[in-house]
Amino acid sequence: MSTDSVIKIKDLDFSYGGPKILEGIEIDIQRNEFIGMVGPNGSGKTTLLKIIMGVLTPDKGSVKVLGNPPSQSVQEIGYMPQFASFSRDFPISVEETVLMGRLGKTSSIGFFNKADKRAAEKAMNDVEILDLRKRVIGSLSGGQLQRVLIARALTCEPQIMILDEPTANVDMKVEKDIFDLLKQLNERITIIVVTHDIGFISQYIDRVACINRTLICHPTSELTGETIENMYGAHMHMVHHHHEDEKK
Amino acid sequence: MSSFIDAVSTQAFMQNAIIGGILASVACGVVGSYVVVKRIGYLAGGIAHAVLGGMGIAYYLGRPPIEGALVAALVFAFILGWVSLKMQQQEDTVIGALWAGGMAVGILFISQTPGYSVDLMSFLFGNILMISSDDLLWIAGLDILILLIVFLFYKQFLALSFDEEFARLRGIPVERFYLLFLSLVALTVVILIQIVGLILVIALLTLPAAVSGQYVRSLNVMMLLATVLGVFFTTGGLALSYQPDLPPGPTIILVAGAFYLVSLVITRFWKRA
Repeated sequence: MSTDSVIKIKDLDFSYGGPKILEGIEIDIQRNEFIGMVGPNGSGKTTLLKIIMGVLTPDKGSVKVLGNPPSQSVQEIGYMPQFASFSRDFPISVEETVLMGRLGKTSSIGFFNKADKRAAEKAMNDVEILDLRKRVIGSLSGGQLQRVLIARALTCEPQIMILDEPTANVDMKVEKDIFDLLKQLNERITIIVVTHDIGFISQYIDRVACINRTLICHPTSELTGETIENMYGAHMHMVHHHHEDEKK
Repeated sequence: MSSFIDAVSTQAFMQNAIIGGILASVACGVVGSYVVVKRIGYLAGGIAHAVLGGMGIAYYLGRPPIEGALVAALVFAFILGWVSLKMQQQEDTVIGALWAGGMAVGILFISQTPGYSVDLMSFLFGNILMISSDDLLWIAGLDILILLIVFLFYKQFLALSFDEEFARLRGIPVERFYLLFLSLVALTVVILIQIVGLILVIALLTLPAAVSGQYVRSLNVMMLLATVLGVFFTTGGLALSYQPDLPPGPTIILVAGAFYLVSLVITRFWKRA
């Protein structure tokens, strides 16, 4: 198993020119792991993701994604941003939005080709939005839009998916639907998901990566109120709650 | 109206004007749609006005003003593009300074040009009735160049205007394509100056696309409809201005502006209903 390392980070430091944002980061993520990444605002989560995707270069340390430097492997990563960084009134259909995920994988000139359209269709089918394909994005609900963004991240047929707070703006029903969907995708794709809602996702993930300048990894089973409290530096209650489908 | 149709069928200058309007509408519809969805109307306005500097210098040197306009438009597109990429904090101030500075340079050079004083008004407000067959060739050539580039890099331009952040993550060289895109804006501005002059360029660049954007569901259709509207506005403005002998440039803009306002009101009511 140890040979199938997908993301391997060793002794990584990073700063934006000032104090260190990330220090001594070590993590080895295996194929088909489902990692939850947590940490307070400004703890360096998004920075670490950007380093993994080759957008930022670390001051020190080594990063290997699929055995290569990040800039060479970025085409194998499907990314879903924290905020939709586009305007909702842009005249564009669901299908065209999903096709954007093909950039970098498809030819650099001309229009999207048949292979691109097939990949987009498969991605829309996987996240169950195929019936919305001709809809303009401005007419979608919050939950539908999140699915479109996941489909866009999926169309590049990635080996790794990184999702930055995919459920920040949706209600709990949609949140559960989305994590069920991610769990399915996890059968073939390694998933890293940033979230604040650790209590909720602990039933889905294998390990929690707690980031606050440094990184500590916990297997889900070890997760206690105390570890979360240490990380956020504030008193928190773990509220144990059951879901209907857990009542066996 | 019948005298306008007479003039179109008999007078070469009217035929040139109509063809010029149609050719300009193509660039206008395609590039204008990007400008509207990417919301860089102010930046495009800066390029359009600063171009007077190049026209004034060309005029002073005894060269055709369109050559000066072309060079100046491309130079300013690069400067303004660089500014908007690197100095986002002061972007609007810098655009404003270059906008006014370019115009000031143009007016100084025109005032120092010896001999017969040029009609400044035709630079500022254009004269579609003065378009020559040579001008039409220029405009057609620039049209073809713009369409070619947009076809080749359709995906990149769509990604850039829709979601720049995501495009960057997918490995698109966003900065390079942004500058290429601003060059297209520059070429379009040069075309439109022939039709309505540089003061009114920004209206003809944005209004057809803005009207079109209220009704469509995709960027391609937006471009197509904006082109058709552009033809309608230029031809309509030309026809309206002919009988009372009004300047065609401002008439074209007023037709487009009125249409935009009416359309805005209609779509508001329609969406509420």
